[in-house]
Amino acid sequence: MIICIILLPIIVGILAPLLPFRQRSHKEIFLEGAVVLNSILVWYLLLHHSDSTFLLAHFTGDLNISFRVDGMSMVFAGLVSGLWPFATLYAFEYMTKEEHENTFFLFYTMTYGVTLGIAFASNLLTMYFFYELLTLVTVPLVMHTLTREAVLASRKYLYYSLGGAAFAFIGLIMVIVYGNTTDFILGGVLDLTKIGDKTNILLLIYVMAFMGFGVKAAVCPFNSWLPQAGVAPTPVTALLHAVAVVKSGAFAIIRLTYFSFGTTFLRGTWAQTAVMVVVMFTIVYGCSRAVKETHLKRRLAYSTISNLSYILFGAVIMTPLGLTGALTHLVFHAVMKISSFFCAGAVMHQTDKHYVHELDGLGYKMPCVFGIFTVSALALMGVPGLAGFISKWNLAGAAIDSQNPLAYAGIACLLVSALLTAIYMLSIVVRAFFPGRDFDDSRIQTAHDPNWKMLLPLFVFTVFIILFGVHSQPIVNFFYEVANGVY
Amino acid sequence: MDFVCNFPFFSILLSLFSGTICSILPGRAAKIVNRLVITAIAIMSGILLVYLLNTGESFVYWMGHFPAPWGNEIRAGVLEAGMALFFCIIMYLSMAGGAHKLFNEVEESKHNLYYILINLLLSSLLALVYTNDMFTAYVFVEINTISACGLIMIRQVGRTIEAAVRYMIMSLLGSGLLLFGLCIMYDLTGHLLMSNIKESVALLMQNGEYQIPLIVSIALMCIGLCIKSALFPFHAWLPDAYGYSTVSSAAILSSLVSKGYIFLLIKIIYRVIGFDIFNSTRIIDVLFVFGLMGMIFGSLSAIKENDIRRMIAFSSVAQIGYIYMGFGMGTQAGMVASVFHILSHAATKSLLFIAAIGLTEVSGGSRKFIDLTGAGYRNKWAGVAFTAGSLSMVGVPLFSGFISKLLFAQAAVQVEGKMLAALIVLGISTVLNAIYFMKTVIRIYATTGDTAYPNMTFKQMKVHAVVLVFFILLNVILGVSSQPIVDMIEQGLAMFA
Amino acid sequence: MYLILLPIFFPILAGFCLLVCPKKPDRKLLIITTGICLVVTAMLILCTLLSGKQELTLFYLTRTLPIYFKIDEVGILFCLLTVVVFVGAGFFSFVYMTHEQKEKRYYGFYLMVFGVLNALCFAGNLITFYLFFELLTLSSMPLVLHTGSREAIMAGLKYLFYSLCGAYAGLFGIYFLYHNCDTLTFTAGGVLQTTAIAAQGEFLLLTAFVMILGFGVKAGMFPMHAWLPTAHPVAPAPASAVLSAVIVKAGVLALIRVIYYIFGVSFLRGSWVQTAWLILALVTVFMGSMLAYREPVLKKRLAYSTVSQISYILFGLAAMNEEAFTGGLLHVLAHGLIKCTLFLTAGAIIYTTGKTRVDELRGIGKEMPLTIWCYTIVSLGLIGIPPTGGFISKWYLALGGLSGNIGVFGYIGPVVLLLSALLTAGYLLPLTIQGFFPGADYAYASLQKREPHKCMTIPILIMTILSVLIGLFPNILVDYLADFVGTLF
Repeated sequence: MIICIILLPIIVGILAPLLPFRQRSHKEIFLEGAVVLNSILVWYLLLHHSDSTFLLAHFTGDLNISFRVDGMSMVFAGLVSGLWPFATLYAFEYMTKEEHENTFFLFYTMTYGVTLGIAFASNLLTMYFFYELLTLVTVPLVMHTLTREAVLASRKYLYYSLGGAAFAFIGLIMVIVYGNTTDFILGGVLDLTKIGDKTNILLLIYVMAFMGFGVKAAVCPFNSWLPQAGVAPTPVTALLHAVAVVKSGAFAIIRLTYFSFGTTFLRGTWAQTAVMVVVMFTIVYGCSRAVKETHLKRRLAYSTISNLSYILFGAVIMTPLGLTGALTHLVFHAVMKISSFFCAGAVMHQTDKHYVHELDGLGYKMPCVFGIFTVSALALMGVPGLAGFISKWNLAGAAIDSQNPLAYAGIACLLVSALLTAIYMLSIVVRAFFPGRDFDDSRIQTAHDPNWKMLLPLFVFTVFIILFGVHSQPIVNFFYEVANGVY
Repeated sequence: MDFVCNFPFFSILLSLFSGTICSILPGRAAKIVNRLVITAIAIMSGILLVYLLNTGESFVYWMGHFPAPWGNEIRAGVLEAGMALFFCIIMYLSMAGGAHKLFNEVEESKHNLYYILINLLLSSLLALVYTNDMFTAYVFVEINTISACGLIMIRQVGRTIEAAVRYMIMSLLGSGLLLFGLCIMYDLTGHLLMSNIKESVALLMQNGEYQIPLIVSIALMCIGLCIKSALFPFHAWLPDAYGYSTVSSAAILSSLVSKGYIFLLIKIIYRVIGFDIFNSTRIIDVLFVFGLMGMIFGSLSAIKENDIRRMIAFSSVAQIGYIYMGFGMGTQAGMVASVFHILSHAATKSLLFIAAIGLTEVSGGSRKFIDLTGAGYRNKWAGVAFTAGSLSMVGVPLFSGFISKLLFAQAAVQVEGKMLAALIVLGISTVLNAIYFMKTVIRIYATTGDTAYPNMTFKQMKVHAVVLVFFILLNVILGVSSQPIVDMIEQGLAMFA
Repeated sequence: MYLILLPIFFPILAGFCLLVCPKKPDRKLLIITTGICLVVTAMLILCTLLSGKQELTLFYLTRTLPIYFKIDEVGILFCLLTVVVFVGAGFFSFVYMTHEQKEKRYYGFYLMVFGVLNALCFAGNLITFYLFFELLTLSSMPLVLHTGSREAIMAGLKYLFYSLCGAYAGLFGIYFLYHNCDTLTFTAGGVLQTTAIAAQGEFLLLTAFVMILGFGVKAGMFPMHAWLPTAHPVAPAPASAVLSAVIVKAGVLALIRVIYYIFGVSFLRGSWVQTAWLILALVTVFMGSMLAYREPVLKKRLAYSTVSQISYILFGLAAMNEEAFTGGLLHVLAHGLIKCTLFLTAGAIIYTTGKTRVDELRGIGKEMPLTIWCYTIVSLGLIGIPPTGGFISKWYLALGGLSGNIGVFGYIGPVVLLLSALLTAGYLLPLTIQGFFPGADYAYASLQKREPHKCMTIPILIMTILSVLIGLFPNILVDYLADFVGTLF
């Protein structure tokens, strides 16, 4: 079952350009149908999963490629499969203005399968495998427009990701050598008797592996690929560079920290301090850069950088509550950021405007899009009643609960970042809705809201932002149980 | 003694004589003879390998049934047979993949000369693999050098001559040092057969006699072979030699010739000096350090390179660094990793060379990156193959490079003092590999804009495409089902001791 | 029970509908609708208040974070002020806004702010309070940048970011309080766990200080007061009136809630936090007056005056004794009414004459006598001349300063207040003097009576009267306050 779910999108992706579709709409139906079907299968699997491990292949020695559904995979797979059908729908409309549609949907759909592979991987090697694969299938998407800019961006993306994986690889080796197994077991698999006096070396390797996976999660100083990768078409930037790819980085770090090295081994060590400092710095750094940035999508990308480090901040608190906070933000941020990215994409698609200062007065021409953008902006800021508040609340709560003084400082970082978020998000909203007295709207006379394919995903995401904001209890409870290893 | 045991001897002789036969045949016939010989040897090696795997122990073959110290011995174990088989496969594929280019680049009258050289090269490689006698080894090292030199020079443009001269000088320096070391060893032990030397060396170590000359001798042999296999900083001859010779030559030189020397070094370490004695010297630390430096500086040079062939050549320097790093760890695991990397690198590097030629062909013959823009669309097979080779080099799972990286890292962890250095350099080197290989991959897929160069269809490059597919398969096989191969290497190394 | 929701959500929804309604409505219809909404809201509030003390848990944000409303005395006080000011300024704006654009937007946000302020007054725990505190900032920002000039937009953004900065500092405190309190429900005397005080006393003090600074931003407390003189003057006059009279009071309310209902006075009294707070409040009092004194533009001058006057209240809160606290609350009312009147008169002046600088307004008293008379009366109140509201509040503040055991501040405080009162006279009265006594060289011939529209004068008049009434019959209020102030200490 699991393997079907992973392979289906990959196969569909490869088939799509080969099959002779007479009309564009037929292809759309085919792809959307496949994606929806796969999502349904994923949810069916999540709800009826068994605890057994599915072994695909022996690799070398006792290293396997195998899959299993556990709590973490449920969170990540559930998130990804929830967002993908909407993103695909959005992409159909968006891609009408771009070239090479076939290549795009080929890789776009394949990425779905690969991401699910990361989610369902039951050991570190399998995850590493799909992690690398993810880099490879997403590069063509970044390179899509084939402009000089896109080529440079994809090159950087590759260097960073593969380089990061090289260091994550070292962590993998450590777990292979010093662990009892490479399977993911909450609490870690390290064998303390094997480690002996090598604790410090192991911690160093942990930090290296953290930074390695952190490249995908855009941890400072390895974050510059992400804003550059914004040259990709918006469905890619929104779904991959705000959710699937970057969250894979965060997901991998959580797996590494909680399921491989184990928090008991790491908590209170200098390694925890080191990574926490890095993460805190990134939180503030990302936001500051976002404030400075005038390109709309790049600004959102910097915002993603900062928000990813929120997730990591929760993760490196290294308590069940911290993990709960991290998971909450992992899911909530996904919805908020994809919503704001889709708004940005809708603006670009409809009006071909890319810079913040070009958005003056568009709020009246595209009220739905900018209304939704406002909601997601407020949610990202952490206004109570919207999703962002809950996740920040959980993160801060975990930080206080951990009694770690550095984590207290982390809360300050969260709040500084919230303020900066307000600055960079609301200045867009203000521009759009309050263009100034002497504003001449003749240039945007023709702008209007996009059609339903673009609006439907936006509305659905907005509903979820509000729903998570006012009624988060069930889902947060679920995260808490996951963090405590119930599933 | 089974009939199979004659196979090593047969294959050496067969290739040696076929060289002679080729000299009287026209080019096309020589080509066929060459292919047949390689195939025959591959089959023989395969049978031998199966035989050895079944019996589970190595055997010594007395040439002409004269026992040592008068006669000449050949020794075959799993590792030797496997290596011979692998070399044949790579050589066959490289020849097939570069054949069409050969006809363009080499004068009609010299075609049969080319096959003579190839056959000689093969025989010398096989001899290096199988021999149990140091002096025989030396002799075939020289034959190897000469034929390799011919392979470089056979494409007669200005830079190949220069490259060949360079190669000649460096190689002769290497073999000179090897001979020197050999002399000292002979002086100390009075033997030339490997097994006999080993006993004497063990005795010397036990008695604590002649320590310094012994070390000097080992060091000279190591340096000699390092120069010949282009370990950093002795790699100056390599980029030109690999970069400008005809493509089959480049593929064979990079993936086989240097590996032959390395294999000889492994034999010397295990069979002549003894693994433990070798590890107790400081030489392994030196090898380790130079290996690490090679990994980094080779890649750095490759990054700076603006010529795809030379870039791949520089990448070889880095990969040789990996192998020596494995030696330098001084553990069984490190050695296994190195041997595996010999295989993986051979498979990948020849793939890259052959694919690169496909790319340059559709770019007006230019090897500059700027001209290669979009070449991946014009020649799809070569593009895909080059991408696969690059991914393997970077160490992406599913390809052979990942396994060797995995083995190296696992080996490194077991060595207390060298672990961190090895791991970090491994990481950095991967980053650097990613930089120059991915730069190229992205370049060849960069744009589909209008170019004057024609597209290449499958019909125009059947052989080439098939060879590329085989290479990719070879890589994937090494990457996916590496366990039997690793087991075989371990078994083979155990037979050495 | 759900009655309490009506005064909150009716105006919010009404405002929202007004905003999203796509058609450009007839101006008359718009004004009538808004007027009805304002009146209905006022009625609803009265009904709610009359129906006695209520509480309501609306829903749970998370298991331990309820959205909870409760009516208590402080809330009632602030709520009444809000109603008076909002209805008054609302009617004023029906005329005033004729010379601005986009009225629909203005009224929409105006109504929303009204609802949000009611919610703030009725918020029963810190989370609910914080929720509406943020919403207040967001919904009042459009009022600031309404005119749409570049200056106004920048001011609006400045207001937004200062306020959010403060709110987030407050949130920082809330995070910590949540872990050190049994509940975040406002309870007289504080809800800190005694174990937490013992274990993390110092840290909690720091938290308290951060929260004071944070919520102090909204109240225009030094060092984060700079938004106020920028933001208030650029807004349309009724909006400035609302901002200065009630929205800054939200900061005051926040501080009352946090210090008196969460931390508890006993925890903070005598600590370094109190000292620091007193110093900040006094610095602000003096500095605000000085800046106002030097400021030539009328509305800006009034804004600086607000900075100074709000810190009177904060001084009262920081002194942490009954008299000072009573004084503070009285000053909330007095200042609210007075400052609203002042801004409305300033608006009336701008509306009729178009002049903004004080020195341009010679002889204005001759032109608009009623308006300037009201101006003069409330000015006297702000200075603290006896029969007006300001006198009573300042009296209690000084009393509290002297009677409390706040050491040397017991003397410095009243002195600074007095000094500042002098300065207040110095910056407010010149307009009266010049207005009524323009001097011999004034061209009397060109003088013409131009009293503004009734819609403008009546709110001004009513509020002036109210502010005087407070001063005349303070006992009702003082008695009312005395009932519950005791429970806080």
